Order: sequence, then C-alpha cells, then structure tokens
Amino acid sequence: MAKFHPRVDLLTEYVAGILPLAQSACISAHLNYCPQCQQQSARLQDLGAVLFDSLTPVPVGDALLNTVLARLDEEPPLSYRRAQDPAVGRLPALLQRLMKGDFSELSWNKITSSLRISYLKTGDPGYEFALYHIKAGGKIPEHTHRGSEMTLVLQGGFSDAAGSYHEGDFLFREASDTHAPTALQSEDCICLAVLDAPLRFTSWKYRWMNPFLQLRAG
Amino acid sequence: MVEKRNDSASDGWQGPTGRRTDEWSECLTQIAATGDRAAFTRFFRHFAPLIKAFALSGSSLSAAHADELVQEVMLKAWQKASAFNPEKAAASTWVYTIARNCRTDMFRRLQKFDTPLAADDFMPDQEPSEPFAMLQSRRSRDTIHALMGTLPPDQAQILAKVYMEGKSHAEAAAELDLPLGTVKSRVRLAIQKLQIQIDR
Ligand SMILES: [Zn+2]
Repeated sequence: MAKFHPRVDLLTEYVAGILPLAQSACISAHLNYCPQCQQQSARLQDLGAVLFDSLTPVPVGDALLNTVLARLDEEPPLSYRRAQDPAVGRLPALLQRLMKGDFSELSWNKITSSLRISYLKTGDPGYEFALYHIKAGGKIPEHTHRGSEMTLVLQGGFSDAAGSYHEGDFLFREASDTHAPTALQSEDCICLAVLDAPLRFTSWKYRWMNPFLQLRAG
Repeated sequence: MVEKRNDSASDGWQGPTGRRTDEWSECLTQIAATGDRAAFTRFFRHFAPLIKAFALSGSSLSAAHADELVQEVMLKAWQKASAFNPEKAAASTWVYTIARNCRTDMFRRLQKFDTPLAADDFMPDQEPSEPFAMLQSRRSRDTIHALMGTLPPDQAQILAKVYMEGKSHAEAAAELDLPLGTVKSRVRLAIQKLQIQIDR
C-alpha cells in the first residue's frame, strides 16, 4: 500500500475539480493505488455536496425546463457508456487510455544509458506529462526544477536522499529542490512525472543537455 | 450562504442499515425506474436553481453559460439516472458530482483544450465498496452539516471560494491578498474542524 500521499489541501483542489488537467490525472492515478486517499476524497466530496446544498438558489425560468424536457429523448453521448472501461492489468484505466498500448509500444527518448522518457499527450498546455523508465540500479543525474514536479511510482521503485518510494507512492516537489533519484537494484522503475517547467541537470557531466530538455507540454 | 438548512431531519436519514430515504434520492430512483417526467420536473425545480447558483458563484461563468450548464447537468442526470445507487450516495451528492464535472469540462472547452479526457474519466476505477462506505458518507455529511456553522468565517470563506467558485488556492490567495501558505493552512484547519481528516 502507498506510503506517500498528496497533502489534504492538494486533494481538496483535486476534489473541487480545479487542479490543472495533467496534475489531476496524476492524483487520480494515485487514488487507484490508495484506498486511504480514496476515502479522504470521498469525505472531501461530501463537503462539496454540503456546500452545494447550502447555496442560495438562483431562479431558473420555465423556458429552460421546457428546453430540457424537449431534449429528454435524445440518445446519450457514447462517452457516458465508456466511463467504466475496465482496467486491464494493474495500471489505472486513465493512464492506459493516454498510453494507447503497453510500455513496450510507447515511443521512448533515450536521455542517458539508464534513463529514457516517453511523453504522453493530455492536452494540458501548461504541463508535461511523461513516463520515466530508469533501469534497475540506474540513476537520474542530479537535477533541479524551476517549477513543481509530481511523481507517481507505477512499477518498481526508487530512492533519493529523503527516502525510498514504491508502487503507488506519490511525491510533490516544489521549485528548486535538488535531487538525484536512483532506481532500486531489484527491478526497473517506471514513474509518471508531471512538470510545469523543464528539469535542469546540475552536475557538469550532463549540464550540456539542459538546452535540449524543453518542456513538452500538451 | 452556508446557513439555509439546519435541520438534518430533512435529510431523512434512517436506521442503522444505511438505507437512504431522502426525498430526492427516491425521486431519482423513480425517474430511473419509470422514466417519470413529472418526477423529473420536480427534480429539476429543486436542483436547477442550485446548479445555476453553482455556475454563477464567484461569477465564474456568464449567465448564458450558466444556463447551458444547468441544461447539460439536468440532461445528464436524466440519462444517467439508472446508474444512481441510493446505497452509495445521496441524490444531492450525485448531482453535485455531475455539476462539478460538467463545469470542469466547460472551463476546459472554453479554454479550447484539445484533450482526449473528460472529467468523468478522472473518477477512480473502483469506488470504495466496503459495506460501511455509505454509512460513513451519511455520517460525515451530517457531521459536516452540523459543524459548518462553527467554522471561523475566514475558513468558511476559503472553502466556498475553492469548492463553489472553483478558485485554486493560489487564486484565492491573490484575491484575498493572503500568502498562499495561509490559504492552505485554513483549508487544512477547516478539514480538521469538520472531522473529515483521515489518517493516511
Ligand atoms: Zn494516498
């Protein structure tokens, strides 16, 4: 079971439906691994419903009622039936939709001998949404962020100076934390990372790559 | 704004089995079972004004878009009525969730996002299925409702901005001229006071 979770104020923004799409997708994916956060979200949703119930009603004319009544025989959009695509395997259904295949079918960009990245399209213009594949025991060169970074472990695990993280664990780092994650020795690690600014390698060996690490949002 | 209903008796909670018998849940069940348009009309007259208030809250949407949202949410409620499970949620929680998702989708449409995802896709794959999930939800709603009046106004104000006006914590902070950390800590304090904090 996941040990690292989004803080409750972040979950509140998620439940209220106001997080940027890419970040929202990452939290939604964490919830699929985490019954506690699901439960916390359910309570936060109860709160939303109580606030909704207590709004001061704004009158709605009969014209609008009649418009809706006249439309009741319309066929519901197909998407209403798609809502419960069963997840195949262990990955959250939402991620599977964005990946359109399994890890081996994605197009990967090799960054170093032990790190490759695959960018997924979410349609969110402000955030990069990408899968990081780190070979067992491999290291992501020490880097820093100008923006925020959400990480969700999908497979295997990694560690950095602050701890070690396993399947389902969620991390949120604010700008300018420097870290150098290393995949666990036992197996390859695949993480989802959501960034709002490109990462920057700090060690001299990789610094030359920084100009190539443009944010690939969208 | 938060004070309309103080009698939790009007929620119609009943018995330890968790069976839900509030008026609007029954109404929705009837709509699903028989396609009853008179029942739908009653349902509309109750919820449409709340959805409109939700849409206009913090003038997040124009009047025309608010009407469009009311139409979309009520139509979706009709079309998805058979998916409503009164054991799992109260009708008003169910309607709130649809309204929230439709509003999020509308914001993204207005910003011309080109995305394969709709807000419905962000719901977790399995909903909590423990037998007590419903009972907990019922209790938490009652508790929240009872405790809402005890929240300091500055905390209640932030919750309204976040949930009803759809403002991020950063936007709320800018609007109220407060540090972001203050906004976040008010949210956390409110959640503790309302007794919905879960150990994780
Ligand atoms: Zn969690």
